[in-house]
Amino acid sequence: MSSPETKGPGEGPGRGEVILELRALHKNFLMHRGRTVIKAVDGLSFQLRRGEILGLVGESGCGKTTTGKLVMKLIEPTSGSIIVNGDDATRLRGAQAIAYRRRVQMVFQDPYASMNPHFKIRDVLEEPLLIHRIGATKLERTAMISEVMRRVKMVPVEDYMDRHPHMLSGGQRQRIATARTLILRPEIIVADEPVSMIDLSTRAEILHLMKAIQRDMSLSFIYITHDISTARFFTDRIAVMYLGRIVELGSQDEVIDHPIHPYTRALIEAVCEPVSGRVGLMRELPIKGEVPSAASIPAGCRFHPRCPYAKSECWELPEPELEDSGAGHLHACRRWREI
Amino acid sequence: MNLKDTTESLRDSWREFAKVKSGLFGLAILGAFLLLGIFGVYLVPFPGATEHWRDINFWQDNPQAAPPAWTNLFAARKGVSSTVLANPKAGTENQDNGVAVRTFSFDYDFGADEPPRDIIVRLTGDGPVPVIITVDRPDSLSAEIYRAQLDLSPLSPARVSLVRNSAQAIVEFVRSQDPELATNMSADLIKPFGILFSKLGKEVATAPTALKGKYRIVVTALQLSSDFKVNTPSLIVSGHVSGILGTDSSKRDIFTGIVIGIRWALIIGILTSVVSVIAGVLLGIIAAYFGGAVDWMLTRLYELIYLLPVLPFLIVVSAIFKPSIWTFITLVCLFFWTGSYKTVYSMALQIKEETFVEASKALGSGSWRIVFRHISPILLPYSFASMALSIPAIIVYEASVSLLGLGDASIVSWGQILESALSQGAVINNLWWWVIPPGLMIALMGMSFAFLGTALDKILHPKLKTR
Repeated sequence: MSSPETKGPGEGPGRGEVILELRALHKNFLMHRGRTVIKAVDGLSFQLRRGEILGLVGESGCGKTTTGKLVMKLIEPTSGSIIVNGDDATRLRGAQAIAYRRRVQMVFQDPYASMNPHFKIRDVLEEPLLIHRIGATKLERTAMISEVMRRVKMVPVEDYMDRHPHMLSGGQRQRIATARTLILRPEIIVADEPVSMIDLSTRAEILHLMKAIQRDMSLSFIYITHDISTARFFTDRIAVMYLGRIVELGSQDEVIDHPIHPYTRALIEAVCEPVSGRVGLMRELPIKGEVPSAASIPAGCRFHPRCPYAKSECWELPEPELEDSGAGHLHACRRWREI
Repeated sequence: MNLKDTTESLRDSWREFAKVKSGLFGLAILGAFLLLGIFGVYLVPFPGATEHWRDINFWQDNPQAAPPAWTNLFAARKGVSSTVLANPKAGTENQDNGVAVRTFSFDYDFGADEPPRDIIVRLTGDGPVPVIITVDRPDSLSAEIYRAQLDLSPLSPARVSLVRNSAQAIVEFVRSQDPELATNMSADLIKPFGILFSKLGKEVATAPTALKGKYRIVVTALQLSSDFKVNTPSLIVSGHVSGILGTDSSKRDIFTGIVIGIRWALIIGILTSVVSVIAGVLLGIIAAYFGGAVDWMLTRLYELIYLLPVLPFLIVVSAIFKPSIWTFITLVCLFFWTGSYKTVYSMALQIKEETFVEASKALGSGSWRIVFRHISPILLPYSFASMALSIPAIIVYEASVSLLGLGDASIVSWGQILESALSQGAVINNLWWWVIPPGLMIALMGMSFAFLGTALDKILHPKLKTR
């Protein structure tokens, strides 16, 4: 078994290299006995570098979670490829698939549902060790569990070790969920809306903790969220997704301060700020209508039916590809210079 | 997992379990059942009953359909309790002509209102031996009630029923005391023990009054030469009441039957329910979790077996094969797994979509790990409940099969006791001690499993617990 521990994260000169690359990834779901094809992910490509946090931002139904599951290999892509450290990991089987789990881990959205209610915290954290046969004795495993619990600040460890998940708060559970991924010392963590179900008061705490750990261990994060404000705080780069495809990608400051794509602008406009003087100023979303169904993606630019700037070229010409507007700020809008 | 881990986690589970009182109660009953099931065979009054339950000769000394001995406490006229008299006072007198006169005197304390139904003498020895039996009464009268030459053998005892062989001698005894009383007595018409155990008076034949006190029954045997031998005999007083739970119409001791029936109730109930529920639960989870062809095949198999009528099927199979308890258990397992399959199937379909199952897959769990570590434990309380619920059903099922003559003749089960009680009219004849105990035992065993099931339910469902 190839062990990622030999080239431990955080050591070595690998920082900045591309660790994960998605190439033209598609995922179709068949519904109504195959009569309807839902294109949840429709030609997604991006690169994730070592030690980087990439935010995937978009409305619900845009395919963010499906992307996370594809990277996590919980579902198989219809086409396209996933490349990890230069090796094609799209269709792994058997021992290789298990080894892949040690390098790529996931924090789920709902900390209430992501742990078996019958397990104690000890069992939750021991499970990855048992699956990957890490730690020969229970004592050894307990030591590893304690260490990782201290790392996510669940102290004193003994107080929490024998509790059941339902005895913990949402924030505590999400720390345990994080600890469960860290105990395998992965290189990539997919965090699927890790704070969306947590009280606002503890969100920042959890995000700070995750970021500290990410820096410490030089982890690569894919942070999936619909909340563009936490994305700005947490990520290094932001990819904005719309209907299964990235429409804008760039550093977090660039994307939020100088958004190019009309959809990104709309998302940023929609954020309400509870700052005095601006409270009453809850702006209306400048875009109209609902997200179209992923079963019938509009021709041309997929955003055109909702775009306030759309002109005939937007639906007559083929779909725009991502283009660079400078300094790695990519976008997929044909009329970006005009608007 | 090493041994230390296992003992530690077992200790933890026990601590949790001990908090639930009803569970402890169920466990206590079940523990008592287990102990009786293992050791009860050696504690019952008739230790050989397991092999001889259907052997008429084994039970011939018992009274027929006698109520339990403790019913005397509530009876206006007390009946004799069946007892075995052993360890007599023995004496040997050697005569000059080489004949040895051996005497065995048994003391019998008679305190009932009704005379014994019978007194049976069992005698082993070797060769032809003349035997005389006399009874010394509390009123210091002595009656010779039996005189005959018996051909004794060392292994199978000679059995003498005194009530059948003493009528003439008792008439003679009355005549020797009071010839007038005996004038109208005929050996064919009197109740011999009604006279022997009563005060002699005018109404001795029609309305006798019991003569209570110490009786001495003396068995005298003559060893005519040293080649012949007489062993110590035993006396069985057959009464109106018998044992802890009375006897049935085949003279079998019901208490013995109940105790030796525990073993088979436990074996049949536990084995069948455990095997069939485990099979049903696992197949249900497997069908739900793997889906596709596996699901299709298992569900078709379930439908096929579910639609088969069990009893006709059992009759045909029992007609082809020899009716044996193991055939019964196997067949019932084949039919009973369907009881939990469909429920588990639908529950597992729901559980497999839970996020924690997905999370476990993301950690690298294989399918079997998810089936056994994540899905099965959630279904464990349900499994225990359905085991507990199916145990009484299985025991009754065994009884039903026994009714059709398809029960295993080599075992004793509560179902069979109950079945014979019903078929021989125990209810109509008011033989309640034959019906209530086996029914109560079946209920008690079902109850102990139900208590256990609910207690485990509380432990295994942590959401019912508070912090």
